[in-house]
Amino acid sequence: MSQFAMLVDVSRCIACKSCSVACMQENCLHSSSWIRVRGRELLTDHLIKYYNPQSCRHCADPICLAVCPMGAIQRGNDGLVIHDIERCIGCQVCVDACPYSGMKIMTNGKVGKCSFCSHLLEINKEPACVSVCPVEARIFGEREFLIREAGLRIKNLLSRGIKAHLEGADKESTTVLYLSNNTSRSNWLVP
Amino acid sequence: MGLYIRPRSLGIISKPLERDDDLRTSICCLCNGGCGLKVSLDHEGKVQAVFGDRDNPYNKGKICAKPMEIVQTLYGPYRVGHPLRRINGKFERITWEEALKLIAQRYNHYSQENGTGSIVGITSKIGGSYSKLAHSIFSKLTGMANYGTGPICMESELKVRKDIFGNGSASSPLSDVIKSKIMLIVGNNCAQTKAGQFHWISEAKQQGTKVVVIDTRFTETAQMADRFIQIRPGTDTVLGMALLKIIINNNLYDQAFVSEYTNGFEQLAEAVEAFTLKQAADITGVPRNVIEELAEDLAVRKPGMLFEGRGIVCVNNAGASIRAFEDLMAILGNIGKPGAGIISHINNYGNARDLIPKKDVIKPDRKRSATALYQAMEEGEIKMVFIAGNPCVNWPDSRRMTQAIQGLDFVVSHTLFLDDSAMLADIVLPATHWLEEAGVQASVHRVLQWKDQAAATYAESRSGGDLFRQLAKYMGLETSYFPNSPQKAWELERTHNKSIEGITVERLRKTPGGVHFPCPANGQEAERLYESSLFPTPSGRVELARKNNIAIEYINVFDSPGNQGVSPEKYPYLLSTNKVASHYHTICQYSNWAQEMEKQPYVEMHPQTASELGLTDGDPVRLETVTGSLVLPARITFSVPRGYFTTQPYFGLHSPYRQTPVNSLFPVAVDPVGGNFANKNIMCSASAEGRAGQ
Ligand code: SF4
Repeated sequence: MSQFAMLVDVSRCIACKSCSVACMQENCLHSSSWIRVRGRELLTDHLIKYYNPQSCRHCADPICLAVCPMGAIQRGNDGLVIHDIERCIGCQVCVDACPYSGMKIMTNGKVGKCSFCSHLLEINKEPACVSVCPVEARIFGEREFLIREAGLRIKNLLSRGIKAHLEGADKESTTVLYLSNNTSRSNWLVP
Repeated sequence: MGLYIRPRSLGIISKPLERDDDLRTSICCLCNGGCGLKVSLDHEGKVQAVFGDRDNPYNKGKICAKPMEIVQTLYGPYRVGHPLRRINGKFERITWEEALKLIAQRYNHYSQENGTGSIVGITSKIGGSYSKLAHSIFSKLTGMANYGTGPICMESELKVRKDIFGNGSASSPLSDVIKSKIMLIVGNNCAQTKAGQFHWISEAKQQGTKVVVIDTRFTETAQMADRFIQIRPGTDTVLGMALLKIIINNNLYDQAFVSEYTNGFEQLAEAVEAFTLKQAADITGVPRNVIEELAEDLAVRKPGMLFEGRGIVCVNNAGASIRAFEDLMAILGNIGKPGAGIISHINNYGNARDLIPKKDVIKPDRKRSATALYQAMEEGEIKMVFIAGNPCVNWPDSRRMTQAIQGLDFVVSHTLFLDDSAMLADIVLPATHWLEEAGVQASVHRVLQWKDQAAATYAESRSGGDLFRQLAKYMGLETSYFPNSPQKAWELERTHNKSIEGITVERLRKTPGGVHFPCPANGQEAERLYESSLFPTPSGRVELARKNNIAIEYINVFDSPGNQGVSPEKYPYLLSTNKVASHYHTICQYSNWAQEMEKQPYVEMHPQTASELGLTDGDPVRLETVTGSLVLPARITFSVPRGYFTTQPYFGLHSPYRQTPVNSLFPVAVDPVGGNFANKNIMCSASAEGRAGQ
């Protein structure tokens, strides 16, 4: 089977937060959704505003795995980074280490993160967040297909004067690919 | 009462949902988006999760957060399970029979002693089609006057559209947008308020429909648009008039349509001369070339559609703006064609007629406007109120509403939750949730969809359909007029309303996505209205001018009801409310997940306004209007103009949020043309509130 992945298209996100709530519903979380949608705005010659859904990107070389003193984080052959809550002692070093704000602090003091709904993949279903997203800002499929799709979307955005790029496709390869606007962090009004 | 948690999450490990494969099909009854749902029950038969229904052609499996959040509220601590009676300030559990007997006795007493007008219903949340029908039969038999969603939501839109086209309903389904060349979205943040249906607009945009958003805030919808036009608050009428003016003066309108199917064109042409384009640009803050370009676009790109939202409806000069934009669509000939027309969540399919013989119909002995209701309660003219809704949070001057209800002799609340209004009741009756009631639901696609009861009724809750029939019995009224099941209710409604006669429950059950209306006995459904260019106005034509022969009269927002005579020195800013994706009316405030998405209400302001007030992000700010004041944390954003504040309207004191309702800052003032209450553009003052530790 060819490799699967998820594409998160920041340019399409409308901040309905349906993914975030679907994640809590699917994983029976009382709070601390594994996806958090954060607003960004910056003023250049005009106002740019977008939303960034933050969750685990399932890195090929996860820093959380490297820093966890308990070996609670493992990466499988399928490219998924899985957190074992039984081994987790709640030291939260991974939370600080993750550059993508993918690790969440849960009400039980331990950490939690996106499991890619691996239990749904097993029964041939797509992750809960993908299944609800009304604007195809989250899509699931074969990695190659998603990279091509992202290329088309980037071209389309460029034709409307919006520059965007794909994160995670090559070097710092991640299973969750991000199509992001070309803006720099330092300009964000709301950090 | 406090926060509650799902017990499973207390454990060390939260396991994924245990799925059952036997999902029930339902229709979301929240925003009138009409999204198809799949409902999952746990082993006890309780709803444990809600998914989108992939077989529903309108949402194709996609949903917004709201129906998922709603599941959490079904079995939470605020849900009412049993009839309660207030005795010495405390609620005590009573039986349904006791409750109904008491209500019946009081009802008959006030009705005989003080007249039918001494009892009113505030009934914005009456339930599904079964409950609505029973409520209307009950009202006809008793002469109870009701205040529904109209004044707090769409009265102006309904009335103005009815004046123009003869029918207040949407003229076209949202799904038509993919056939349109331009979509004008005015004061409507549908990316948040109808997220589950927003894919229609994003798909249309990808196919080449030009999406233009006119709004005061840079909303999520604006962000997705091809063009966003930021307009000064309350000046939409002037923009609409300027567009009309350019189109009329340059002969860009559909001349054949105007001469054959409209009245009042001369008056309209005269009215739009009230401003020069330069003046319009100055008033609206929209540059002249942008207005001209939009007019050009509208003239060239046909068919075109209009989707207005609460941003121009729930304001104190709504009637004029709505008329300007709808007249605009009319003279462009954007009506009655695929891809043209007006989209709205107003989907009235007409009332059932002659359900009750004339001899048994009682008319309310007094008529009062929504504004007069307050005084009538305060002065003791009204003795008893039947509440299905939460007026103490969502009616303006909420504090006054609360006090007025407190002063009544007898208050009944038929409710899901012990909310701010139910807490004032003498009798609280537990209501069924829409997932616990079968019935027909209308949607923004102009379809009716059937849903079966998806879950068992909670505890002793009863639907309005059952409640009104049983109450009628205790009151000694003729009960044979009442249907005793949702199916029978629909059958009765269908056979007494020609416009839906062809829509049987069987047909609805067989048709995913439902059936368009009108659909008369011959079974022919109409996807959109006016395809035959027949307009149900008295003249049979589109009425471009008002009955007083003045087409459109712009009133400056500072001279509009609620702001008239208010000192601009003392109240130099404007206050509005706006919607967010995770809340709906006042019901999602009882969901943990909604609370995680929106931790607390905040007030958006422009960075310059914030610095004028000495505020940084998160600082407490006191907002004050003529009716009250409230402290909220500041949220600094470039999305709103200077001198303008906006916050979210959903919260009450009796909820996990424990918030003074923001509607208490809005005076009881209505749009003079359409009668809608305003919950935007009210003059206010703002100041930094002392910080903790100071
Ligand atoms: S968009 Fe409206 S109808 Fe659809 S799921 Fe959300 S609240 Fe329900």
